[in-house]
Amino acid sequence: MDASSDADIVGRVLDGDVDAFALLVERYRDRCARYAMHMLGNREDAEEVMQDAFVRAYRALGRCEDPERFGAWLFRILVNRCRTAGARRSRRARTFVSDELALMSASQEHPAERTAWREEIQRALAELRPEQREAFLLKNVEGLGYEEMSEMTGVGVSALKMRVMRACDRLRVLLQEANSA
Amino acid sequence: MPDHEPMVADAVLGELRQPVPVSATFNARVMRAIQELPHRHGRVVPLPTRSSPRRIRIAFGAVAAGVLAMFALPSSPRAHARRVQFVLVAPRARNVKVVGDFNGWDTSHAAFHAKNRGGGVWSVTAPVPVGHHRYAFLVDDTVWVADPMAPRADEDFGTPNSALLVPDQE
Amino acid sequence: MRRALRSAAGLLFLPAAAASAQRPALGAAFDPATRAAIQSIVDSARADGLPADALVNKALEGAGKHAAGPRIVGAVRMLYGELAASREALGAASRRDEVTAGAQALHAGAATPDLHALRLAAGRRPLGMPLMVLTDLMSRGVPPETAAGIMDSLVRAGARDADLVAFQRNVRLDVDRGAAPAAAATTRVRGALAALRSH
Repeated sequence: MDASSDADIVGRVLDGDVDAFALLVERYRDRCARYAMHMLGNREDAEEVMQDAFVRAYRALGRCEDPERFGAWLFRILVNRCRTAGARRSRRARTFVSDELALMSASQEHPAERTAWREEIQRALAELRPEQREAFLLKNVEGLGYEEMSEMTGVGVSALKMRVMRACDRLRVLLQEANSA
Repeated sequence: MPDHEPMVADAVLGELRQPVPVSATFNARVMRAIQELPHRHGRVVPLPTRSSPRRIRIAFGAVAAGVLAMFALPSSPRAHARRVQFVLVAPRARNVKVVGDFNGWDTSHAAFHAKNRGGGVWSVTAPVPVGHHRYAFLVDDTVWVADPMAPRADEDFGTPNSALLVPDQE
Repeated sequence: MRRALRSAAGLLFLPAAAASAQRPALGAAFDPATRAAIQSIVDSARADGLPADALVNKALEGAGKHAAGPRIVGAVRMLYGELAASREALGAASRRDEVTAGAQALHAGAATPDLHALRLAAGRRPLGMPLMVLTDLMSRGVPPETAAGIMDSLVRAGARDADLVAFQRNVRLDVDRGAAPAAAATTRVRGALAALRSH
Protein backbone atom coordinates (compact mmCIF):
# COMPACT_ATOMS: atom_id res chain seq x y z
CA MET A 1 0.00 0.00 0.00
CA ASP A 2 1.25 3.48 -0.87
CA ALA A 3 2.30 5.38 2.25
CA SER A 4 2.09 8.82 0.64
CA SER A 5 0.01 11.39 2.47
CA ASP A 6 -3.30 12.56 1.08
CA ALA A 7 -1.73 15.94 0.37
CA ASP A 8 1.07 14.30 -1.64
CA ILE A 9 -1.37 12.33 -3.73
CA VAL A 10 -3.66 15.31 -4.27
CA GLY A 11 -0.67 17.29 -5.45
CA ARG A 12 0.28 14.60 -7.94
CA VAL A 13 -3.25 14.45 -9.31
CA LEU A 14 -3.42 18.22 -9.71
CA ASP A 15 -0.14 18.07 -11.57
CA GLY A 16 -1.74 15.76 -14.09
CA ASP A 17 -1.12 12.27 -12.70
CA VAL A 18 -4.71 11.06 -13.04
CA ASP A 19 -3.85 7.49 -12.09
CA ALA A 20 -2.67 8.63 -8.68
CA PHE A 21 -6.29 9.33 -7.81
CA ALA A 22 -6.79 5.57 -7.69
CA LEU A 23 -4.77 5.56 -4.47
CA LEU A 24 -7.33 7.83 -2.86
CA VAL A 25 -10.17 5.68 -4.15
CA GLU A 26 -8.58 2.61 -2.58
CA ARG A 27 -7.84 4.43 0.64
CA TYR A 28 -11.37 5.74 1.24
CA ARG A 29 -13.58 3.33 -0.62
CA ASP A 30 -14.45 1.09 2.31
CA ARG A 31 -15.37 3.89 4.65
CA CYS A 32 -17.56 5.47 1.97
CA ALA A 33 -19.15 2.11 1.25
CA ARG A 34 -20.05 1.55 4.88
CA TYR A 35 -21.84 4.87 5.20
CA ALA A 36 -23.51 4.81 1.79
CA MET A 37 -24.71 1.23 2.21
CA HIS A 38 -26.27 1.89 5.61
CA MET A 39 -27.74 5.16 4.43
CA LEU A 40 -29.26 3.93 1.18
CA GLY A 41 -29.94 0.29 1.98
CA ASN A 42 -28.76 -1.42 -1.16
CA ARG A 43 -25.37 -1.94 -2.70
CA GLU A 44 -26.24 -0.82 -6.22
CA ASP A 45 -27.39 2.61 -5.12
CA ALA A 46 -24.55 2.88 -2.63
CA GLU A 47 -21.88 2.17 -5.25
CA GLU A 48 -23.48 4.54 -7.70
CA VAL A 49 -23.47 7.33 -5.15
CA MET A 50 -19.94 6.49 -4.11
CA GLN A 51 -18.75 6.64 -7.69
CA ASP A 52 -20.50 9.96 -8.13
CA ALA A 53 -18.84 11.30 -4.99
CA PHE A 54 -15.37 10.21 -6.06
CA VAL A 55 -15.81 11.73 -9.53
CA ARG A 56 -17.08 14.97 -8.06
CA ALA A 57 -14.18 15.03 -5.66
CA TYR A 58 -11.80 14.59 -8.57
CA ARG A 59 -13.42 17.41 -10.52
CA ALA A 60 -13.37 19.76 -7.57
CA LEU A 61 -9.95 18.70 -6.32
CA GLY A 62 -8.50 22.13 -6.90
CA ARG A 63 -10.98 23.48 -4.36
CA CYS A 64 -10.00 21.09 -1.58
CA GLU A 65 -8.72 23.62 0.92
CA ASP A 66 -6.91 21.14 3.14
CA PRO A 67 -5.58 18.28 0.99
CA GLU A 68 -4.19 16.61 4.09
CA ARG A 69 -7.79 16.03 5.14
CA PHE A 70 -8.99 14.88 1.74
CA GLY A 71 -10.88 12.02 3.36
CA ALA A 72 -13.07 14.29 5.45
CA TRP A 73 -13.71 16.53 2.48
CA LEU A 74 -14.62 13.54 0.32
CA PHE A 75 -16.90 12.23 3.03
CA ARG A 76 -18.76 15.51 3.11
CA ILE A 77 -19.37 15.20 -0.63
CA LEU A 78 -20.59 11.64 -0.11
CA VAL A 79 -23.02 12.67 2.63
CA ASN A 80 -24.53 15.29 0.34
CA ARG A 81 -24.84 12.85 -2.56
CA CYS A 82 -26.52 10.32 -0.29
CA ARG A 83 -29.01 13.01 0.70
CA THR A 84 -29.85 13.75 -2.93
CA ALA A 85 -30.16 10.07 -3.74
CA GLY A 86 -32.23 9.43 -0.65
CA ALA A 87 -34.56 12.35 -1.38
CA ARG A 88 -35.60 10.94 -4.70
CA ARG A 89 -35.91 7.41 -3.38
CA SER A 90 -38.10 8.43 -0.45
CA ARG A 91 -40.89 9.18 -2.86
CA ARG A 92 -40.97 5.61 -4.02
CA ALA A 93 -41.78 2.63 -1.88
CA ARG A 94 -38.63 1.89 0.06
CA THR A 95 -37.82 -1.75 -0.48
CA PHE A 96 -35.10 -3.52 1.39
CA VAL A 97 -33.16 -5.63 -1.06
CA SER A 98 -31.19 -8.58 0.11
CA ASP A 99 -27.67 -8.07 -1.11
CA GLU A 100 -26.43 -11.23 -2.78
CA LEU A 101 -22.80 -10.21 -2.51
CA ALA A 102 -23.14 -9.37 1.15
CA LEU A 103 -24.92 -12.62 1.85
CA MET A 104 -22.27 -14.61 0.04
CA SER A 105 -19.36 -12.97 1.82
CA ALA A 106 -21.13 -13.09 5.14
CA SER A 107 -21.97 -16.77 4.86
CA GLN A 108 -18.36 -17.57 4.11
CA GLU A 109 -17.10 -15.91 7.26
CA HIS A 110 -19.99 -15.86 9.68
CA PRO A 111 -22.77 -18.09 10.85
CA ALA A 112 -26.20 -17.73 9.31
CA GLU A 113 -27.50 -16.11 12.52
CA ARG A 114 -25.13 -13.20 12.08
CA THR A 115 -26.29 -12.72 8.52
CA ALA A 116 -29.89 -12.56 9.68
CA TRP A 117 -28.93 -10.15 12.48
CA ARG A 118 -27.17 -7.89 10.00
CA GLU A 119 -30.28 -7.86 7.82
CA GLU A 120 -32.47 -7.01 10.80
CA ILE A 121 -30.28 -4.05 11.65
CA GLN A 122 -30.42 -2.86 8.05
CA ARG A 123 -34.21 -3.20 8.00
CA ALA A 124 -34.45 -1.19 11.20
CA LEU A 125 -32.20 1.51 9.76
CA ALA A 126 -34.43 1.67 6.72
CA GLU A 127 -37.38 2.45 8.98
CA LEU A 128 -35.77 5.61 10.31
CA ARG A 129 -36.46 8.99 8.81
CA PRO A 130 -33.56 9.89 6.50
CA GLU A 131 -32.35 12.79 8.63
CA GLN A 132 -32.37 10.59 11.75
CA ARG A 133 -30.55 7.80 9.98
CA GLU A 134 -27.96 10.26 8.71
CA ALA A 135 -27.36 11.77 12.13
CA PHE A 136 -27.22 8.35 13.78
CA LEU A 137 -24.70 6.97 11.32
CA LEU A 138 -22.50 10.04 11.40
CA LYS A 139 -22.41 10.12 15.18
CA ASN A 140 -22.44 6.49 16.28
CA VAL A 141 -20.92 4.65 13.35
CA GLU A 142 -18.59 7.16 11.73
CA GLY A 143 -17.64 8.71 15.07
CA LEU A 144 -18.00 12.35 14.11
CA GLY A 145 -18.43 15.04 16.75
CA TYR A 146 -21.55 17.18 16.80
CA GLU A 147 -19.67 20.31 15.75
CA GLU A 148 -18.27 18.56 12.72
CA MET A 149 -21.67 17.12 11.90
CA SER A 150 -23.21 20.56 12.19
CA GLU A 151 -20.65 22.02 9.84
CA MET A 152 -21.18 19.19 7.38
CA THR A 153 -24.96 19.17 7.35
CA GLY A 154 -25.83 22.77 8.15
CA VAL A 155 -28.06 21.57 10.98
CA GLY A 156 -27.68 22.95 14.49
CA VAL A 157 -26.08 20.85 17.23
CA SER A 158 -29.25 20.70 19.32
CA ALA A 159 -31.29 19.46 16.40
CA LEU A 160 -28.64 16.87 15.60
CA LYS A 161 -28.64 15.58 19.15
CA MET A 162 -32.43 15.28 19.02
CA ARG A 163 -32.21 13.33 15.77
CA VAL A 164 -29.62 10.95 17.19
CA MET A 165 -31.68 10.40 20.33
CA ARG A 166 -34.85 9.68 18.39
CA ALA A 167 -32.99 7.38 16.03
CA CYS A 168 -31.58 5.39 18.94
CA ASP A 169 -34.99 5.17 20.61
CA ARG A 170 -36.60 3.96 17.41
CA LEU A 171 -33.88 1.45 16.67
CA ARG A 172 -34.17 -0.05 20.14
CA VAL A 173 -37.90 -0.53 19.66
CA LEU A 174 -37.55 -1.99 16.19
CA LEU A 175 -34.78 -4.38 17.12
CA GLN A 176 -36.57 -5.51 20.26
CA GLU A 177 -39.62 -6.26 18.15
CA ALA A 178 -37.43 -8.20 15.75
CA ASN A 179 -35.81 -10.19 18.51
CA SER A 180 -39.09 -11.08 20.12
CA ALA A 181 -40.66 -12.16 16.83
CA MET B 1 -32.22 18.69 26.52
CA PRO B 2 -30.14 16.15 28.44
CA ASP B 3 -26.56 16.03 27.36
CA HIS B 4 -26.00 12.34 27.94
CA GLU B 5 -25.53 10.12 24.94
CA PRO B 6 -28.43 7.75 24.26
CA MET B 7 -27.17 4.22 24.14
CA VAL B 8 -27.60 1.69 21.44
CA ALA B 9 -26.49 -1.84 22.10
CA ASP B 10 -22.79 -2.37 21.40
CA ALA B 11 -23.75 -5.38 19.34
CA VAL B 12 -25.67 -3.16 16.96
CA LEU B 13 -22.91 -0.60 16.66
CA GLY B 14 -20.32 -3.31 16.31
CA GLU B 15 -22.20 -4.78 13.39
CA LEU B 16 -22.71 -1.40 11.74
CA ARG B 17 -19.02 -0.57 12.03
CA GLN B 18 -18.00 -3.67 10.11
CA PRO B 19 -16.82 -3.15 6.54
CA VAL B 20 -19.39 -3.86 3.83
CA PRO B 21 -18.57 -5.71 0.62
CA VAL B 22 -17.86 -3.64 -2.47
CA SER B 23 -17.89 -4.87 -6.06
CA ALA B 24 -14.50 -5.99 -7.29
CA THR B 25 -14.87 -3.67 -10.27
CA PHE B 26 -15.71 -0.55 -8.28
CA ASN B 27 -12.27 1.06 -8.31
CA ALA B 28 -11.89 0.43 -12.01
CA ARG B 29 -15.30 1.93 -12.72
CA VAL B 30 -14.43 5.09 -10.85
CA MET B 31 -11.14 5.52 -12.65
CA ARG B 32 -12.78 4.85 -15.99
CA ALA B 33 -15.37 7.52 -15.28
CA ILE B 34 -12.60 9.95 -14.40
CA GLN B 35 -10.61 9.07 -17.50
CA GLU B 36 -13.65 9.90 -19.61
CA LEU B 37 -14.11 13.36 -18.18
CA PRO B 38 -13.88 16.14 -20.76
CA HIS B 39 -11.05 17.89 -18.98
CA ARG B 40 -8.47 16.89 -16.42
CA HIS B 41 -6.18 18.61 -14.02
CA GLY B 42 -2.85 19.69 -15.38
CA ARG B 43 -3.80 19.72 -19.06
CA VAL B 44 -6.73 20.17 -21.40
CA VAL B 45 -8.06 17.26 -23.43
CA PRO B 46 -7.73 18.28 -27.08
CA LEU B 47 -10.74 19.14 -29.21
CA PRO B 48 -12.25 16.36 -31.30
CA THR B 49 -10.82 17.91 -34.48
CA ARG B 50 -7.28 17.22 -33.30
CA SER B 51 -5.86 13.73 -32.88
CA SER B 52 -7.69 12.21 -29.98
CA PRO B 53 -7.14 8.45 -29.70
CA ARG B 54 -9.74 7.92 -27.00
CA ARG B 55 -12.48 9.58 -29.04
CA ILE B 56 -14.10 8.26 -32.19
CA ARG B 57 -11.70 9.10 -34.98
CA ILE B 58 -13.02 11.58 -37.53
CA ALA B 59 -13.28 9.92 -40.93
CA PHE B 60 -12.50 12.98 -43.01
CA GLY B 61 -9.17 14.69 -42.97
CA ALA B 62 -10.19 18.34 -43.09
CA VAL B 63 -10.96 20.15 -39.88
CA ALA B 64 -14.71 20.37 -39.43
CA ALA B 65 -15.89 23.79 -38.44
CA GLY B 66 -19.52 24.43 -37.61
CA VAL B 67 -21.55 27.58 -37.37
CA LEU B 68 -24.72 27.51 -35.39
CA ALA B 69 -27.19 30.01 -34.10
CA MET B 70 -27.07 29.41 -30.37
CA PHE B 71 -30.45 30.96 -30.12
CA ALA B 72 -33.01 32.29 -32.59
CA LEU B 73 -34.83 35.58 -32.31
CA PRO B 74 -38.57 35.04 -32.55
CA SER B 75 -40.67 36.85 -35.08
CA SER B 76 -43.94 35.94 -33.41
CA PRO B 77 -44.35 35.87 -29.66
CA ARG B 78 -45.17 32.66 -27.81
CA ALA B 79 -44.22 30.35 -30.69
CA HIS B 80 -43.42 26.83 -29.51
CA ALA B 81 -40.56 26.26 -31.94
CA ARG B 82 -38.03 28.23 -33.91
CA ARG B 83 -36.36 27.33 -37.15
CA VAL B 84 -32.66 26.96 -36.51
CA GLN B 85 -29.93 26.63 -39.10
CA PHE B 86 -27.24 24.05 -38.44
CA VAL B 87 -24.05 24.27 -40.48
CA LEU B 88 -21.01 22.00 -40.56
CA VAL B 89 -17.96 22.26 -42.80
CA ALA B 90 -16.97 18.70 -43.69
CA PRO B 91 -15.50 18.52 -47.18
CA ARG B 92 -15.02 14.75 -47.25
CA ALA B 93 -18.29 13.72 -45.66
CA ARG B 94 -20.83 11.63 -47.54
CA ASN B 95 -23.72 12.56 -45.26
CA VAL B 96 -24.27 14.75 -42.24
CA LYS B 97 -27.19 14.50 -39.82
CA VAL B 98 -28.13 16.67 -36.88
CA VAL B 99 -29.16 14.50 -33.93
CA GLY B 100 -30.24 15.62 -30.50
CA ASP B 101 -32.87 16.09 -27.85
CA PHE B 102 -35.16 17.81 -30.34
CA ASN B 103 -35.51 14.69 -32.48
CA GLY B 104 -35.15 11.99 -29.83
CA TRP B 105 -31.58 11.21 -30.95
CA ASP B 106 -33.16 9.45 -33.90
CA THR B 107 -31.00 9.64 -37.01
CA SER B 108 -33.89 8.81 -39.32
CA HIS B 109 -35.56 12.24 -39.14
CA ALA B 110 -35.16 13.54 -42.67
CA ALA B 111 -35.90 17.07 -41.55
CA PHE B 112 -32.52 17.05 -39.81
CA HIS B 113 -30.48 15.58 -42.65
CA ALA B 114 -28.11 18.25 -43.87
CA LYS B 115 -27.65 19.00 -47.55
CA ASN B 116 -24.31 19.50 -49.23
CA ARG B 117 -24.23 23.15 -50.31
CA GLY B 118 -20.91 22.84 -52.08
CA GLY B 119 -17.48 23.93 -50.99
CA GLY B 120 -17.54 21.48 -48.09
CA VAL B 121 -20.49 23.20 -46.45
CA TRP B 122 -23.38 21.10 -45.11
CA SER B 123 -26.48 22.76 -43.71
CA VAL B 124 -30.07 22.19 -42.69
CA THR B 125 -32.71 24.48 -41.21
CA ALA B 126 -35.27 22.75 -39.06
CA PRO B 127 -37.82 23.57 -36.35
CA VAL B 128 -36.51 23.17 -32.82
CA PRO B 129 -38.85 23.42 -29.84
CA VAL B 130 -38.39 26.15 -27.29
CA GLY B 131 -36.06 25.11 -24.49
CA HIS B 132 -32.61 23.75 -23.75
CA HIS B 133 -31.31 21.03 -26.05
CA ARG B 134 -28.18 18.92 -26.48
CA TYR B 135 -27.16 17.77 -29.92
CA ALA B 136 -24.31 16.71 -32.17
CA PHE B 137 -23.58 16.11 -35.82
CA LEU B 138 -23.38 12.51 -37.02
CA VAL B 139 -21.04 12.28 -40.01
CA ASP B 140 -21.25 9.32 -42.39
CA ASP B 141 -23.45 7.52 -39.83
CA THR B 142 -20.36 6.71 -37.80
CA VAL B 143 -18.60 9.73 -36.35
CA TRP B 144 -20.12 12.00 -33.72
CA VAL B 145 -18.90 15.59 -33.91
CA ALA B 146 -19.79 18.41 -31.54
CA ASP B 147 -20.51 21.78 -33.06
CA PRO B 148 -17.15 23.49 -32.61
CA MET B 149 -18.82 26.91 -32.57
CA ALA B 150 -21.51 26.12 -29.97
CA PRO B 151 -21.27 25.85 -26.19
CA ARG B 152 -20.29 22.40 -25.05
CA ALA B 153 -22.60 20.07 -23.19
CA ASP B 154 -21.97 16.72 -21.53
CA GLU B 155 -20.36 13.70 -23.12
CA ASP B 156 -21.58 10.87 -20.96
CA PHE B 157 -21.26 8.24 -23.67
CA GLY B 158 -17.78 9.09 -24.81
CA THR B 159 -18.68 11.45 -27.62
CA PRO B 160 -19.02 15.23 -27.30
CA ASN B 161 -22.28 17.15 -27.40
CA SER B 162 -23.21 20.78 -27.93
CA ALA B 163 -25.87 22.91 -26.24
CA LEU B 164 -28.59 25.01 -27.79
CA LEU B 165 -31.08 27.33 -26.12
CA VAL B 166 -34.22 28.30 -28.00
CA PRO B 167 -36.01 31.06 -26.06
CA ASP B 168 -39.78 31.40 -26.07
CA GLN B 169 -39.69 35.15 -26.41
CA GLU B 170 -37.27 38.06 -26.54
CA MET C 1 -42.58 35.48 -47.49
CA ARG C 2 -40.98 35.62 -44.13
CA ARG C 3 -37.85 37.63 -43.85
CA ALA C 4 -34.69 36.05 -42.66
CA LEU C 5 -33.29 37.67 -39.54
CA ARG C 6 -29.75 37.82 -38.31
CA SER C 7 -28.80 36.88 -34.79
CA ALA C 8 -26.33 38.82 -32.72
CA ALA C 9 -23.78 36.24 -33.81
CA GLY C 10 -24.29 37.25 -37.44
CA LEU C 11 -25.79 33.93 -38.41
CA LEU C 12 -28.77 33.17 -40.54
CA PHE C 13 -31.94 31.94 -38.95
CA LEU C 14 -35.58 31.97 -39.87
CA PRO C 15 -38.78 32.55 -37.95
CA ALA C 16 -40.91 29.48 -37.62
CA ALA C 17 -44.58 28.68 -37.58
CA ALA C 18 -45.78 27.52 -34.22
CA ALA C 19 -45.21 23.81 -33.78
CA SER C 20 -46.06 21.62 -30.85
CA ALA C 21 -43.12 19.80 -29.32
CA GLN C 22 -43.69 16.09 -29.01
CA ARG C 23 -42.85 14.44 -25.71
CA PRO C 24 -39.99 11.98 -26.24
CA ALA C 25 -40.76 8.32 -25.62
CA LEU C 26 -38.45 5.43 -24.78
CA GLY C 27 -39.73 3.35 -27.66
CA ALA C 28 -38.31 -0.07 -28.40
CA ALA C 29 -34.63 0.83 -28.16
CA PHE C 30 -33.90 -0.95 -24.88
CA ASP C 31 -33.84 -4.43 -23.42
CA PRO C 32 -36.63 -5.02 -20.88
CA ALA C 33 -34.47 -4.64 -17.77
CA THR C 34 -32.90 -1.40 -18.97
CA ARG C 35 -36.22 -0.03 -20.06
CA ALA C 36 -37.81 -0.85 -16.72
CA ALA C 37 -34.99 0.79 -14.80
CA ILE C 38 -35.16 3.91 -16.92
CA GLN C 39 -38.94 4.08 -16.77
CA SER C 40 -38.82 3.88 -12.99
CA ILE C 41 -36.46 6.83 -12.83
CA VAL C 42 -38.55 8.80 -15.33
CA ASP C 43 -41.72 8.09 -13.38
CA SER C 44 -40.09 9.34 -10.21
CA ALA C 45 -38.94 12.48 -11.94
CA ARG C 46 -42.44 13.18 -13.23
CA ALA C 47 -43.85 12.65 -9.76
CA ASP C 48 -41.24 15.07 -8.43
CA GLY C 49 -42.13 17.66 -11.05
CA LEU C 50 -38.66 17.49 -12.60
CA PRO C 51 -38.03 17.78 -16.37
CA ALA C 52 -38.48 14.08 -17.10
CA ASP C 53 -38.03 14.68 -20.84
CA ALA C 54 -34.36 15.38 -20.18
CA LEU C 55 -34.03 11.89 -18.70
CA VAL C 56 -35.77 10.28 -21.64
CA ASN C 57 -33.53 12.20 -24.01
CA LYS C 58 -30.46 11.07 -22.11
CA ALA C 59 -31.59 7.48 -22.46
CA LEU C 60 -32.33 7.94 -26.16
CA GLU C 61 -28.90 9.47 -26.67
CA GLY C 62 -27.34 6.42 -25.08
CA ALA C 63 -29.35 4.14 -27.31
CA GLY C 64 -28.48 6.17 -30.38
CA LYS C 65 -24.78 5.90 -29.48
CA HIS C 66 -25.07 2.17 -28.81
CA ALA C 67 -24.10 2.42 -25.17
CA ALA C 68 -24.62 -0.60 -22.92
CA GLY C 69 -27.81 -0.74 -20.86
CA PRO C 70 -26.16 -0.37 -17.43
CA ARG C 71 -24.20 2.63 -18.62
CA ILE C 72 -27.37 4.28 -19.89
CA VAL C 73 -29.18 3.60 -16.63
CA GLY C 74 -26.25 5.02 -14.69
CA ALA C 75 -26.23 8.19 -16.76
CA VAL C 76 -29.99 8.63 -16.38
CA ARG C 77 -29.77 8.13 -12.63
CA MET C 78 -26.97 10.63 -12.30
CA LEU C 79 -28.91 13.17 -14.34
CA TYR C 80 -31.95 12.65 -12.12
CA GLY C 81 -29.91 13.60 -9.07
CA GLU C 82 -28.45 16.56 -10.89
CA LEU C 83 -31.87 17.80 -11.97
CA ALA C 84 -33.09 17.59 -8.39
CA ALA C 85 -30.04 19.40 -7.09
CA SER C 86 -30.32 22.01 -9.83
CA ARG C 87 -33.91 22.79 -9.00
CA GLU C 88 -33.12 22.96 -5.31
CA ALA C 89 -30.30 25.39 -5.94
CA LEU C 90 -32.12 27.53 -8.50
CA GLY C 91 -35.49 27.51 -6.77
CA ALA C 92 -38.72 25.60 -7.27
CA ALA C 93 -40.10 28.31 -9.55
CA SER C 94 -37.26 27.94 -12.04
CA ARG C 95 -38.00 27.34 -15.70
CA ARG C 96 -37.50 23.88 -17.10
CA ASP C 97 -34.67 25.01 -19.37
CA GLU C 98 -32.93 26.57 -16.36
CA VAL C 99 -33.21 23.36 -14.36
CA THR C 100 -31.89 21.36 -17.29
CA ALA C 101 -29.06 23.78 -17.99
CA GLY C 102 -28.28 23.86 -14.28
CA ALA C 103 -28.01 20.09 -14.22
CA GLN C 104 -25.53 20.31 -17.09
CA ALA C 105 -23.48 22.80 -15.10
CA LEU C 106 -23.44 20.56 -12.05
CA HIS C 107 -22.41 17.66 -14.23
CA ALA C 108 -19.53 19.69 -15.60
CA GLY C 109 -18.24 20.51 -12.13
CA ALA C 110 -20.18 23.44 -10.72
CA ALA C 111 -21.32 23.29 -7.12
CA THR C 112 -24.88 23.94 -6.01
CA PRO C 113 -23.88 27.14 -4.18
CA ASP C 114 -22.61 28.46 -7.53
CA LEU C 115 -26.04 27.97 -9.05
CA HIS C 116 -27.74 29.53 -6.08
CA ALA C 117 -25.41 32.52 -6.29
CA LEU C 118 -26.28 32.97 -9.96
CA ARG C 119 -29.96 32.96 -9.11
CA LEU C 120 -29.42 35.66 -6.52
CA ALA C 121 -27.35 37.66 -8.98
CA ALA C 122 -29.87 37.35 -11.81
CA GLY C 123 -33.06 38.04 -9.90
CA ARG C 124 -35.94 37.49 -12.30
CA ARG C 125 -33.79 37.39 -15.43
CA PRO C 126 -33.61 33.97 -17.08
CA LEU C 127 -30.54 31.88 -16.37
CA GLY C 128 -30.58 29.45 -19.29
CA MET C 129 -27.80 31.12 -21.25
CA PRO C 130 -25.57 31.95 -18.25
CA LEU C 131 -25.74 28.33 -17.15
CA MET C 132 -24.94 27.11 -20.67
CA VAL C 133 -21.92 29.36 -20.90
CA LEU C 134 -20.82 28.30 -17.41
CA THR C 135 -20.94 24.66 -18.54
CA ASP C 136 -19.03 25.52 -21.68
CA LEU C 137 -16.25 27.29 -19.78
CA MET C 138 -15.75 24.35 -17.46
CA SER C 139 -15.88 21.90 -20.35
CA ARG C 140 -13.05 23.79 -22.02
CA GLY C 141 -10.86 23.60 -18.96
CA VAL C 142 -11.65 26.68 -16.90
CA PRO C 143 -11.63 25.57 -13.24
CA PRO C 144 -15.19 25.44 -11.87
CA GLU C 145 -14.53 28.01 -9.17
CA THR C 146 -13.11 30.48 -11.70
CA ALA C 147 -15.88 29.87 -14.20
CA ALA C 148 -18.56 30.35 -11.56
CA GLY C 149 -17.00 33.60 -10.40
CA ILE C 150 -16.82 34.87 -13.96
CA MET C 151 -20.44 34.10 -14.70
CA ASP C 152 -21.51 35.67 -11.42
CA SER C 153 -19.69 38.87 -12.36
CA LEU C 154 -21.20 38.99 -15.80
CA VAL C 155 -24.74 38.35 -14.58
CA ARG C 156 -24.40 40.95 -11.85
CA ALA C 157 -23.18 43.45 -14.43
CA GLY C 158 -26.38 42.91 -16.40
CA ALA C 159 -24.94 40.91 -19.30
CA ARG C 160 -27.64 39.88 -21.78
CA ASP C 161 -27.69 36.62 -23.69
CA ALA C 162 -26.03 38.29 -26.68
CA ASP C 163 -23.21 39.56 -24.43
CA LEU C 164 -22.69 36.07 -23.04
CA VAL C 165 -22.69 34.56 -26.54
CA ALA C 166 -19.99 37.02 -27.59
CA PHE C 167 -17.96 36.32 -24.44
CA GLN C 168 -18.17 32.56 -24.97
CA ARG C 169 -17.11 32.94 -28.59
CA ASN C 170 -14.08 35.02 -27.66
CA VAL C 171 -12.93 32.57 -24.99
CA ARG C 172 -13.42 29.67 -27.38
CA LEU C 173 -11.35 31.34 -30.09
CA ASP C 174 -8.57 32.12 -27.63
CA VAL C 175 -8.48 28.55 -26.34
CA ASP C 176 -8.55 27.18 -29.89
CA ARG C 177 -5.48 29.28 -30.59
CA GLY C 178 -3.66 27.77 -27.66
CA ALA C 179 -4.45 30.02 -24.74
CA ALA C 180 -4.77 28.52 -21.29
CA PRO C 181 -8.51 28.35 -20.60
CA ALA C 182 -8.46 30.17 -17.26
CA ALA C 183 -6.25 32.93 -18.64
CA ALA C 184 -8.48 33.36 -21.67
CA ALA C 185 -11.64 33.50 -19.60
CA THR C 186 -10.32 35.90 -16.95
CA THR C 187 -8.87 38.18 -19.60
CA ARG C 188 -12.00 38.26 -21.72
CA VAL C 189 -14.29 38.87 -18.77
CA ARG C 190 -12.40 42.01 -17.89
CA GLY C 191 -13.12 43.37 -21.35
CA ALA C 192 -16.72 42.27 -21.22
CA LEU C 193 -17.31 43.89 -17.84
CA ALA C 194 -15.67 47.12 -18.98
CA ALA C 195 -17.93 47.19 -22.02
CA LEU C 196 -21.00 46.59 -19.86
CA ARG C 197 -20.06 49.35 -17.45
CA SER C 198 -19.61 51.81 -20.26
CA HIS C 199 -23.20 51.33 -21.49
